[in-house]
Amino acid sequence: MEQLNVNKNTSSSSSEDSNPCPICLGPIIQDSYLDKCFHKFCYNCILRWTKVVAHKQSCLPTSVKCPLCKTENLSIIHGYDGSSFQKHYINQDSGFILSKDHKYRLQCYYTEPGFLNDIFDVLRYWKSHKYLQPNRWLQSWLRREIQALMQEEDVDIIMHHIHGLIHSSLTRVSIIFVSELACLNPAFFRHEQKGQTKTPEAKQREFQESISDAARPFLAARTDRFVNEVELFLASGLNIEAYDAVCMQRLGWSAPGVTTEPTEGELAEHRPVIPYLYIFYESDCSD
Amino acid sequence: MQASRARLFKEYKEVQREKVADPDIQLVCDDSNIFKWTALIKGPSETPFEGGVFQLAFAVPEQYPLQPPQVRFLTKIFHPNVHFKTGEICLDILKNAWSPAWTLQSVCRAIIALMAHPEPDSPLNCDSGNLLRSGDLRGYYSMARMYTKLAAMPKKG
Repeated sequence: MEQLNVNKNTSSSSSEDSNPCPICLGPIIQDSYLDKCFHKFCYNCILRWTKVVAHKQSCLPTSVKCPLCKTENLSIIHGYDGSSFQKHYINQDSGFILSKDHKYRLQCYYTEPGFLNDIFDVLRYWKSHKYLQPNRWLQSWLRREIQALMQEEDVDIIMHHIHGLIHSSLTRVSIIFVSELACLNPAFFRHEQKGQTKTPEAKQREFQESISDAARPFLAARTDRFVNEVELFLASGLNIEAYDAVCMQRLGWSAPGVTTEPTEGELAEHRPVIPYLYIFYESDCSD
Repeated sequence: MQASRARLFKEYKEVQREKVADPDIQLVCDDSNIFKWTALIKGPSETPFEGGVFQLAFAVPEQYPLQPPQVRFLTKIFHPNVHFKTGEICLDILKNAWSPAWTLQSVCRAIIALMAHPEPDSPLNCDSGNLLRSGDLRGYYSMARMYTKLAAMPKKG
């Protein structure tokens, strides 16, 4: 959030006088470019203009004329951060309007990664075998996430595809783990299988790789961050509402004007809310 | 609504700054309503409108700048693309060729350019268009000049 503020401040001071958005005449917010002529606008301004143009035509247009130079452009390039960017195609189905929740999720992707790392410990998720406890909110959470990132309403096929992979990937590590435990002579097998036993880090890496392979064709440059967010959500063990509440509280969005950095008191208040699920695997295996 | 208000306010500030820069255009915002503007433009030189000062009325829609402002002449003018009675202007950028990158100031410039370069093939004022289309430049010039003198020039003495 702080990072975001810094960016806004610098862009407003530098672009207000020299290079305002041609549509709102204000400092450019969420810089975006048309893909052919590279004229620059606020993302929301140029998006609203393309919708006005589309509304006037009988069929959905595939391109938009630049308000400045009349060049026909096929897409709007936005959300770039040096390593990735997003493209909004003019002909893409504009029937889907992002809800407030979708927008908040997208905003999370604009913040620096790791803003929740001190609350949800992803490595602990792998180390303490929390993956044995399935998260039953995962499907709904994935659907919303993919909807927000792709700005498409009907993402069920992609959601099931990715969910299936997450599920099978977690099942695989669970089976390996349980079979390790199920050995009656642990000392012997532990010795025997030492080479095969996977470290939590290796499990995590394998998981990340298979999910990002599955998601990359759809989410492109946002894939890596998406995988991180999936892990965070899984590691949280929370339902969607509770997870959102923690996120928004951390980002300082719950109420405008609230300080971005939560005070020590607030943090202490929040910590006990997060349930750490300890798996007592001794009892699990004896079944 | 809020977006159009913010943008008009930006234009207002810009106009205050540019007043000296463009002596042909004087844009004034209504005291109580930022969506109502009037402009005084000078008739371009080497045209029958030279020496005249023409008043324009702007009605800005709430969706501005996604929709164009409505502009009409308050001062009577004899021009093929201006309705003689209502002052309505036939200009593509005020209709389907509108772009949100236009401003009230640049619309005024476009209207000045239209005064200098009439399009007799899409007339709102048929009498004026017919004079030009039939090649009667002298007839067009004297009619336009007469109305400029009658309506757009401050009377002497």
